[in-house]
Amino acid sequence: MSWVQAASSTPGAADEEDVFDEEADESLLVQREWRNHMQRRIKEGYRDGLDAGKAVTLQQGFNQGYKEGAEVIINYGQLRGTLSALLSWCHLHDNSSTLISEINSLLDAVGQCEEYVLKHLKSITSQPHVVDLLDSIEDMDLCHVVPDEKKIDETKDERLCENNAELNKNCGKSPSGKDCSYLERCTTQEHSHSENPNLAWILEQTASLVKQLGISIDVLQHLKQL
Amino acid sequence: KKGLKRPKKNKVTGLPKHLPGFTRCLASSIRFHGEGYQEGYEDGSSLGRIEGRQHGALRGAKIGSEIGCYQGFAFAWKHLLHSDASERDRKRKVLESLMGMIEKFPYDDPAYDKLHEDLDRIRGKFRQLCSLLNVQPDFKMSAEGSGLSF
Repeated sequence: MSWVQAASSTPGAADEEDVFDEEADESLLVQREWRNHMQRRIKEGYRDGLDAGKAVTLQQGFNQGYKEGAEVIINYGQLRGTLSALLSWCHLHDNSSTLISEINSLLDAVGQCEEYVLKHLKSITSQPHVVDLLDSIEDMDLCHVVPDEKKIDETKDERLCENNAELNKNCGKSPSGKDCSYLERCTTQEHSHSENPNLAWILEQTASLVKQLGISIDVLQHLKQL
Repeated sequence: KKGLKRPKKNKVTGLPKHLPGFTRCLASSIRFHGEGYQEGYEDGSSLGRIEGRQHGALRGAKIGSEIGCYQGFAFAWKHLLHSDASERDRKRKVLESLMGMIEKFPYDDPAYDKLHEDLDRIRGKFRQLCSLLNVQPDFKMSAEGSGLSF
């Protein structure tokens, strides 16, 4: 490249841009283009990497979450099934409508607890990571990626808000004072995972119901693990 | 003037062709892409796990809730039948059958190859039990927004 040698022999032509007389402006343009090009390359690379990384762990995450979801909810399902059995027993034996409506209320309570537990589970799986990601992504100044993470954060917040609104709404239109108490317990129970004071209350009520029906308490034996 | 031509630009990369160290430029381009890729891969791995976990949790809970319901129902009725002496043999048989099927079912394994098959068999057995008991069970699954309804 003979012109390079020629360039370096020119006085004051230490930089590449001085080689071309009439192109001082264009070389700045070239520099800028080069910078933009490199930034684009980083962004493209990030996008490609993001997709690739996701594809690898999506299934693993799914399997993990599946197990977590099933295990956390099964006891509630068993309780619900038990209450449903008691309800059908009552219908068969023409029991009083007060007992029947009590069972229905407890069934609703279990349902709401399940919803709450699920929402709590969702927020737990997303919380520790999103904040870190947001920080590192903001550092990289890649605008198009941020909305996705923000969306996860927002939906998590939405769900928590929804949850509170739902519970408050239901508390409002519940027929009896009793209904409010377990809903109140739902709202106050923020971080229960192993402990379920709310569930304990439902179990208590179920036990007293069983007594009232004149059924042996053994019918609830399988729920001992709750 | 040294009689130098304005350098032509590469049509693909947009980079001046005859700039010294063009190879270096190309290498840089690849390198920057690679660095972005690595960062993206790490972030994508975390994101994928989170997303996967959330979807998995919902799906697993759906199955777990349904199976739990059948199981609780069956256990309770086992005791209810115990106290009711009349005509319980056939009912007991179906009950025990249902409970056995549920016991064997790996409700927390999403990769279980007979998942849907077994789930359908359990559902069928449950329906059989209900008609024998002459009940129409109401599990009270809330309709709005519940991911758990079956």
